Amino acid sequence: MNAPTPALVARPERRLLVGQRRQFLGIMHQRLMVGMLIFAAVVAAIVLRLAFLGLFGDHAGRQTAISALLPLRGDIVDRDGHPLARTIDSWTVALQPAKVIGDKAALAGELARLMPEKNAAGWLAEINSRKSFVYLRRRAAPRLVSALNALGEPGIALSREPDRLYPQTDLAAHVLGYTDIDGHGAAGMELAFDQQLTDPAKPGEPLTLSISSRVQQALEHELIEAKTKFGAIGAAGVLLDIHTGEVLAMTSLPQLNPNIAGNMDPQAQFNRATHGVFELGSTFKPFTVAMALEAGTVKSMGQIYPCYDSLSLPGGRTITDTHPFGRPCSVAEIMMESSNIGSAQIAAQVGGPGQRAFLKKMGFLDRVEIEQPERGRPLTIPVAQWNQATTMTVGFGHSIAVTPLHLASGYATLFNGGIYRPATLLKVDARNRAVRGRRVFSEETSYKMRALLRLVVTKGTGKKAEALGYRVGGKTGTAEKVIGGRFSKTANITSFAGVFPMDEPRYAMVVMLDEPKGQAETFGFRTAGWNAAPTFGKVVARIAPMLGLRPDMKRDANLAEVLPFVREEK
Amino acid sequence: MESKGGMIMRGFREVGWVAAVAGTALGCYMVNLKVASERAALETVENRIVLAQRDIRVLQTEIGTRGRLEQLESWNVKVLALSAPQAQQFLEGEFQLATLTAPRETIDPAAPVVLAAAPRPQPEARQAEPAERAGGPTARDLMQVASLKRDLPEAAPAPAPKKAVDKPTPPNKAAVKVPAKAATAPVKKVEEAKPATAKVATANKAPARTGTKSGADPLAEPKAKSKDVKARQ
Repeated sequence: MNAPTPALVARPERRLLVGQRRQFLGIMHQRLMVGMLIFAAVVAAIVLRLAFLGLFGDHAGRQTAISALLPLRGDIVDRDGHPLARTIDSWTVALQPAKVIGDKAALAGELARLMPEKNAAGWLAEINSRKSFVYLRRRAAPRLVSALNALGEPGIALSREPDRLYPQTDLAAHVLGYTDIDGHGAAGMELAFDQQLTDPAKPGEPLTLSISSRVQQALEHELIEAKTKFGAIGAAGVLLDIHTGEVLAMTSLPQLNPNIAGNMDPQAQFNRATHGVFELGSTFKPFTVAMALEAGTVKSMGQIYPCYDSLSLPGGRTITDTHPFGRPCSVAEIMMESSNIGSAQIAAQVGGPGQRAFLKKMGFLDRVEIEQPERGRPLTIPVAQWNQATTMTVGFGHSIAVTPLHLASGYATLFNGGIYRPATLLKVDARNRAVRGRRVFSEETSYKMRALLRLVVTKGTGKKAEALGYRVGGKTGTAEKVIGGRFSKTANITSFAGVFPMDEPRYAMVVMLDEPKGQAETFGFRTAGWNAAPTFGKVVARIAPMLGLRPDMKRDANLAEVLPFVREEK
Repeated sequence: MESKGGMIMRGFREVGWVAAVAGTALGCYMVNLKVASERAALETVENRIVLAQRDIRVLQTEIGTRGRLEQLESWNVKVLALSAPQAQQFLEGEFQLATLTAPRETIDPAAPVVLAAAPRPQPEARQAEPAERAGGPTARDLMQVASLKRDLPEAAPAPAPKKAVDKPTPPNKAAVKVPAKAATAPVKKVEEAKPATAKVATANKAPARTGTKSGADPLAEPKAKSKDVKARQ
């Protein structure tokens, strides 16, 4: 009874002293006041909270933030804005064996009917397994999803997860690369720009490549045709805008489907255009001539070199020509008929140190410059062993192995007025300016080379590369492939590197075929003039209109600069 | 009275204040609610827009994948057998385009007209043909000759005005009296007069023709001769 709970319990009537009573009342009031204050505080807190919510709060029906619906990884688009890689929500179907409540055998039968990769017994084993979660299908087709949903089995979980899709499948696959299962870049541009594509500060912002889908498709199609026709094991092609260094198309065969990149064979995953290094042979000769023009050892296209049937190199090796002159011939003739003997002598005049400095300036001794992570390092003779014979063989493109992209960059440098710019896979526009580059050749050398390479196509080894009206100039290259450390007599790498239109060069392209076979149509020849050159011509005839070039029969490079130095054969 | 009323008013003043404050608060709350509901509606719309954009994206991706360039290329090559345009197929402009159009095949107006039920045309008329090639109307005249026995009213209007001028009196009268008949009247007369005019025309042309022939022949013959000479040499 003497419990201190005041106010609530009526006290028994007692005779108390007035002072005591007053004291009690005082305590009572105090306690009442404290209780009231607590109540008031709680009520005030609730009211304030309600008012705050009413004024600033969200309503109950608010949905998840809009940003959650945006793609987590930016698209990759081509230079015209066509999507090459996108992130979409795809269905993922999984089985949770512990949650299966229906007839397991019947379910297994249904699964076997819908997904025939396993039979009913196999699916039953999965259902009876102790696993908590089994993926039935990632990136499932909507039809399969609705069919599985119709089974009404709570053990089958349907969910959506972001998935990287390459709508153009094989197109530019080696440029794009692919992502791993967690959606991170694993190769190509997906890997190189992984950070930018997943940057939370700019969600969904696309990455614009310099690739043009239509040109890329044309190049890929023609290369596939050539690869099939000539029975090659692989091929590569690179097209550059020579003034900006933009890669407009780049392909490597066999093709890669980035949607199922993990299932592709390593040959397909290998990017021959930027990663593979090859001895590209005679396509190097224009560099030798340009180097000699710069060095001043070749003063005119009419300069004469003795080109008899064979030439002994200092180390004892003897070189020959496929088209022996057996007489002294001019620089123009050396280039026209792709003479190893002549080119070796031109290189020898410049000398080893000069040649190495030149190769370094052209980027032929370093990894190719491009955004892609798969970049090949050129192979050549170490400086310590570099002798006069090396200088001479490098002069005609042997003893040095570079990527096709190196070669394309080199041709771009040679014909854009002499300025080396690293190749880029990002579109060059107002936001992303072309780099300044560095000067390698004088404008005069660059100009003189036009007629020389046009001559190769009009009169020399590259006749089949001619695309009527587009003034193609270029050089064939055939090199024996190194197999097991020895030069093979049967396996070649053939290439054609060229520029068009030659009277005002704008695009440089390299086409390479790996181990083409002789055909009845080519009279059994496997050299570049019979396979790489016609492929080049076909590609140019197809892509030039897409690039905004008009065929024009009335224009051409100034052949008057070289024709006087070519002896007319009868 | 006033003091009483004042008292009452004074008594209700606080109630009034409370009512006013409560009313204002309620009003503010209503406005607030309204704003919140509008905002919610807006958010719903925004969400629907985003969802629609996502659907558009999915559909675009699907269309893009189904119509990917590789697929189009294979249809182009295998099904439609199309190929890229050749350099010669590009034209400089409309003038070059116009040069490609061949003149439309028409019936040769100078060809001999043979009618199924017609009598053989006069030999003179046939001889007349080659020389008449130069002028269109002469060939038409010839056709009139061939179909002379049939009434061909459409050929008539050409000489009609001449006739009207030659014989001024009767047509003039007709024209003055009944202007509507003016068109029909001359035609009849022309039909009557036809044989005469046609004969006159052929007769007139015959000498001219011979004249041109005689003019052309001397030029043509030496050429042929020179050719023969050349061939012999």
